[in-house]
Amino acid sequence: MKRAILGPIFLLALMGFAQPFRVTDATGKTVEVRSLERIVTLGGVNTEVLYALGMGDRIVGRDGTSEYPPQVMSKPSVGLPGQYSAEAILALRPTLVVAREDTRPTQVLDQVRAAGVPVILVPIEPTVEGAKRRIRLLAQAVGRPEAGEALIRGLERDLLALRSFQAQQAPKGKLRGLVVYLPAPQVAFVCGEGSIFVAIMELGGVENALKGVRGCQPMNPEAVVAARPDLLVTTKKTVETVGGLEGLLRVPGMAQTPAGARRKVLIMEENYLGNIGPRMGRAALDLFRAAYLQEGVVEVK
Amino acid sequence: MLEAKGLGYRVGERWLLRGVDLNLAPGDFLAVLGPNGSGKTTLLRLLSGELSPTEGEVRLLGKPLEAYGAQGLAQKRAVLSQGREMSFPFTAYEVAFLGRLPHIAGREGPEDHARTWQALEKARAAPLAERFFLSLSGGEAMRVEVARLLAQEGEVLFLDEPTNHLDPRYALELLGLFRAMAHEGRGVVAVLHDLNLAALFADRVLVLKGGKPVAQGGPETVLEPSLLEEVYEVPFRKVGSLGRIPLLLPVPQGVLRGT
Amino acid sequence: MTEALSTPSRLRRYRRALWGLALLLPSVLLLGVSLGAYHIPLQDIPALLLRGEGVAYQVLVALRLPRVLGGALVGGLLALAGAALQGLFRNPLVDPGLIGVSAGAALGAAVFIVLLPGAGALETYGLPLFAFLGGLLATRLLWRLAHTPLGVQVTVLLLSGLALNALVGALIGLLTFLASEQELRSLTFWTLGGFSALTWRLLLAGLPLGLLALFLLLPLARGLNALALGEREAFHLGVDLERLKGRLVAGSALGVGVAVSLAGGIGFIGLLAPHLFRLLAGPDHRFLLPGSALLGASLTVLADLLARTLAAPSEIPVGVLTALLGGPFFLYLVLRHKREVYRA
Repeated sequence: MKRAILGPIFLLALMGFAQPFRVTDATGKTVEVRSLERIVTLGGVNTEVLYALGMGDRIVGRDGTSEYPPQVMSKPSVGLPGQYSAEAILALRPTLVVAREDTRPTQVLDQVRAAGVPVILVPIEPTVEGAKRRIRLLAQAVGRPEAGEALIRGLERDLLALRSFQAQQAPKGKLRGLVVYLPAPQVAFVCGEGSIFVAIMELGGVENALKGVRGCQPMNPEAVVAARPDLLVTTKKTVETVGGLEGLLRVPGMAQTPAGARRKVLIMEENYLGNIGPRMGRAALDLFRAAYLQEGVVEVK
Repeated sequence: MLEAKGLGYRVGERWLLRGVDLNLAPGDFLAVLGPNGSGKTTLLRLLSGELSPTEGEVRLLGKPLEAYGAQGLAQKRAVLSQGREMSFPFTAYEVAFLGRLPHIAGREGPEDHARTWQALEKARAAPLAERFFLSLSGGEAMRVEVARLLAQEGEVLFLDEPTNHLDPRYALELLGLFRAMAHEGRGVVAVLHDLNLAALFADRVLVLKGGKPVAQGGPETVLEPSLLEEVYEVPFRKVGSLGRIPLLLPVPQGVLRGT
Repeated sequence: MTEALSTPSRLRRYRRALWGLALLLPSVLLLGVSLGAYHIPLQDIPALLLRGEGVAYQVLVALRLPRVLGGALVGGLLALAGAALQGLFRNPLVDPGLIGVSAGAALGAAVFIVLLPGAGALETYGLPLFAFLGGLLATRLLWRLAHTPLGVQVTVLLLSGLALNALVGALIGLLTFLASEQELRSLTFWTLGGFSALTWRLLLAGLPLGLLALFLLLPLARGLNALALGEREAFHLGVDLERLKGRLVAGSALGVGVAVSLAGGIGFIGLLAPHLFRLLAGPDHRFLLPGSALLGASLTVLADLLARTLAAPSEIPVGVLTALLGGPFFLYLVLRHKREVYRA
């Protein structure tokens, strides 16, 4: 009888404490994860991966960009990137904090670390390899490497599907796409090499029209016209911000491009268009289909 | 040409000035005397229209001051005040030319420049014209300010301690100039600290104490040691006279020796 | 003797400077229209305009022209408001930002961005309108704070402006806290300013108010000259002080509000242009006000030209550029100016 009770308790103790896992994070630092009881996740795609790994019920806090899957919205948010505070994070009593490697200010995570909570910085390299590395690292950190490999197999399946689609529907010439987004009316950014959005657009077989821009930069309307994009790729929030498609085409430079003249616009959720993670292949596939197989304005769900 | 009746000015419960009557005729030079805080400057500001009296009224050339707009007033009277504030590199000429402001409607004419030059010459400031106002010495700047006053061509001139910071030569020169202008038929009201200069140049003096007029009249009758002692609370002594003009000196008790 | 001296040399200098600047602006505008990230050969421009179609024509007429003209309008208004406010405060180091007009306009923009996101088609008009209203409200509040029974005291006005700036800063901080990540980025971008979003529609919406500011401020030159001697002296010289100050504040708020609504916060033009003109010619506001406006317009068009060509195909925020180029040059000028005034 006594044993019957002690057994499960012992097992639970083992689950709780028999870790630690040791992982090497994006900065090359070795982080020891002792407990997975309470996870705070910063960064939308990190959160998505943790859910996909089946860790959803361990998540006790998220950041403002974590909006997928929908059930994460019920968890408390510690604010937006740039507004994180160590105290708000520590108040959730996390046993593990997961964040993007480019999280700023860095002091916040240093303070969390100093409080004895392991912090894992996840790479965000905008390539398929980067997505795999991200999934593997997170899977390792939560002690579920097999689940991680399963996600990666899923990603590879999607990429295979993308390639066969591209082979079947071989487009005559490559389309030239332009990623544009407006966080506010009158404030337009365009993205170039090194940007996550552009990486996925290129994976989807659309050439980046705008050469010479690194990351996302303030838009130069004339340069956009000179780039002659056939397709505009933007986020759903942007379209909401500018008041619909008409608002987007009123942004200086947009209407003067071939894409604007033909109203060929692709609208995707920001977390999907920038998915360096499990849905990367699907995002690229959706983008390919919208660009080459569909006409006019396409909104990808 | 300038009349004040029962003039009073109150801030909160305190009367800074009360019960002043005066009448200035063309050619009059009135000196306003009194210790610090006696209401001299307040009186000048009331007379020049800068403040509105709490009671009584001021009439300029037969019209109450309130009937004038700021510009109309500036065409009739000019004020030389104490402060010298300037934050931009205006030249002396530009400062003097500002005196023409109330007379310019639309574009300025060559006439306005001619009058500015006349005023500068009259104030002996013409050689300073191209210099920066800020670079002038106290005496030079005062000459330029006087030129501005002359260029304004007011019929009544208000001077607030014009001889402050001036050496005796400039002080005499300046008051002589205003005396001459009074001769031409203008009215001059000057707040002065120097009793003897007042006695030398003014036709009449008004003595204030604690915001109230103590005496008004010709300097030879008003400037009596006994009255001055009461007003300034320091003993005065008549040390001589220039014609009918008494020369007075404040003499503290302890310093008095021998005489 | 009087005849020979009747036009002082300073007056000739003013006229020359004003003429020079009046000729400079069209040349700068032409330069601004002929250069850009989209290459259009200068000799093709007349033919393009005659043809009236094609991508190059669109770039020229729909993108470049409103941008260049908008730059001139914004720069001119900022410089004019700067000169007027410097005259009002009798302090050459006053900037439209100082009394809180720019901050108020930015607050208006922030309120709109954060509290009314996705207002649809209203956005184009809503944002500039809110920026302008913010600027005007800030100035009105300032006016009430600084108004005393003895008239508006400049010291009180200045202190109220400082307090208002702090308050507006705090309110923007509060809004920043409420903002989402993207809104946040736009708030910071808003303070740097730029012309890339300028369209004919925005420009034509701002133009009447901008011209109104011009007509309010330009006739105040003589009063400002008198005010340079001090408030009391100005009154003695026949200036209706309350009216002058009221129009100065309203006109400047209007000018800055329109400028901020069109291009965000672009610093230094309001400070730099009047200063340069004073060094070029002198402080007489009859020449300083139009001269600063012309100079500010030219400077801003040039700054924007650099902003959109130097980093093409991207852009440098023009406010960064004006501060970067204006700052050191300004310091040098201040030093020279100091020497000139006190040695003469």
